[in-house]
Amino acid sequence: MTRWGMVIDLEKCTGCQACTTACQMENSRLPNENWQDVLFYNEGTYPSGKLTWLPRPCMHCEKPSCMAVCPTGATYKTADGVVLVDWDRCIGCKYCMIACPYGVRFYAEEKQKSRPDIREVFPDPEGEKVWSPPWRMPDHLQNNKIGVGIQPKNVVSKCTFCYHRISKAPPGTKDLDPSDPTLREFTPACVVTCAPGARYFGDLDDPTSEVRRLIAEKRGTRLLDHTGNRPQVYYLAGEQPAIPETRTVRRSRDGEA
Amino acid sequence: MATALLTNEVLRRYLDLDRRPDALSIAMMAFGGIAAAIGFAWVFHDLWRWGHAAFNTSSDVAWGAPIAFYLFFLLSSSGLSVLASADSVFGMNVFHPIAKRCVFLAIVTLVAGFSILALEIGHPFRMLWALPVGMQWHSPMWWMGVFYSLDLLLLIVKFWRMHIGDWHSRFMHLVSIASFVVCILAPGTLGLVFGMMAMRPAWYSPVMPMYFILSGFMSALAFITFFTAFEPRASTPPRLRALHESVLPRLFFLALLAVAGMRFGQILTSLWSNYEGMEAHWHVLGSDAFRFELLLGLVLPILLLSTNGLRRNALVRFAAASLAMVGIFLARLNLLIVGQVVPLFKGYWADYVDYWPSTTEWMLIPAGFGIFCFAYGAGHWLLRLGDDPGPDPALAASPR
Repeated sequence: MTRWGMVIDLEKCTGCQACTTACQMENSRLPNENWQDVLFYNEGTYPSGKLTWLPRPCMHCEKPSCMAVCPTGATYKTADGVVLVDWDRCIGCKYCMIACPYGVRFYAEEKQKSRPDIREVFPDPEGEKVWSPPWRMPDHLQNNKIGVGIQPKNVVSKCTFCYHRISKAPPGTKDLDPSDPTLREFTPACVVTCAPGARYFGDLDDPTSEVRRLIAEKRGTRLLDHTGNRPQVYYLAGEQPAIPETRTVRRSRDGEA
Repeated sequence: MATALLTNEVLRRYLDLDRRPDALSIAMMAFGGIAAAIGFAWVFHDLWRWGHAAFNTSSDVAWGAPIAFYLFFLLSSSGLSVLASADSVFGMNVFHPIAKRCVFLAIVTLVAGFSILALEIGHPFRMLWALPVGMQWHSPMWWMGVFYSLDLLLLIVKFWRMHIGDWHSRFMHLVSIASFVVCILAPGTLGLVFGMMAMRPAWYSPVMPMYFILSGFMSALAFITFFTAFEPRASTPPRLRALHESVLPRLFFLALLAVAGMRFGQILTSLWSNYEGMEAHWHVLGSDAFRFELLLGLVLPILLLSTNGLRRNALVRFAAASLAMVGIFLARLNLLIVGQVVPLFKGYWADYVDYWPSTTEWMLIPAGFGIFCFAYGAGHWLLRLGDDPGPDPALAASPR
């Protein structure tokens, strides 16, 4: 059985945020609620200051703590290793948002940081969904059971690895390479759009897949491995000593980095 | 017609409908009714107009003040259940006169807490079927739902038996034991909801369930002290007066000391730690809510109850109970903020999350307290909360 996973090469990533935009368009995301975000870090002080960045989708963990805490079973893991939310079962208790160590879950009922509030500009005429974007995926792809489409009100949402795409991939596919025209439509939007080709998507259980080769040969690293969640998104840090830290409020404020 | 007559007769058999409500009942029902009406109207309007965006919670601070109110009521309820069990489970007769009042207070605080939860949660009606159907036994929140549902059921049965005069039967004893076990498990599980979160270091602690149980017991003592502070001294029997002026205040004093000890240990450990996420405690340290919780909500009530002379003064007891109730509510709010104020994985450009409850969230206070006061006032009038049938004759006869 396939177990989908992603590899992100930080030496190739330029921090352009095209992945964020592609995800927003593909999944009708609200501003500031990016399933796929790029985080920025400033390290050191002049003259040796440095700007780094980290693209951060959902990690689709092997042992997802968000799934463990969900009191209704709305968050579940598919047989091919993807963590999804059943929007028809989610009660909006937000415990999964508390339990996710990576901060990649979103509850749209909050005050918008940008103006105008896009939800008021494009309201859903039926009042069931968070908004009704003028650009959206075809209606027949809306599937609440796998958390794909426009987010309904009062539920939690997250990156699906574009499950509406990858679940249609031909059986036995080991790498979803966007440069292959026959596989492009089955590949996650962020992977397709990545201009420097920093993202790889494939079967983590197939020893001959490209993702497995990269993880083995370029020392693939997982974020916050000590939590035991065992992410299925790996980072290739190259010559960098480490991936940027996770919670750094004090250090950035006090200039300790 | 016959049904109406029958209903009327049944109601009159169990409720003191012929008794005129006293001033306390009228005041509490009037205040509670008005507060609940204003609170709910305000919150419903805002939720209808803006949905949960009317709250200041966000994807960074997912749990805000409504959860703090909810914790305040539910943990107080569990503490009141423990207090009510002192007599029926452990045979401590001195608590007999307040047992029925404590059970009723436990029920109404639980109902007030559930009402607030219903307004906070995204899909409260879906929760009614999704929780039992889901059977997510690995989720502490699922167990919390199980235990608090059982708690409410057992409290209702226990109150019903007390109300019909069955205080000492074997069935009542078994119900009381079950209720005591559940009212320890329920706040303990609620503690686990926070204490198990290793990804939130400011919450992660095996001691969290104990802190919840103990602080719930302390707030229960604040509740019962608050409501018994002004019982007329002249008409109060000596046994009950000793309970009000000596036993309860002493117990309250000890519970405050125990909570203060745990809280100071918790704060010192957190401030000492360099672990990422623990810097939240330094951030919260400067807030007014934190200062109130510690100085006015813990230290001052401890000082107010520190001598026999002070403890005998009804006004002092009332002040200590009021301060402790506000303090413990702020403690719940501070606990929620400290676990979420450092954003998870937002990069260096993110700062501490700025959170303070919105007006809609604050209006949940009159809503919740309104329900509580109205129900308590009605209970005080109709349900003979001061019933005291005396000690168990079987125990009294035994050579203990």
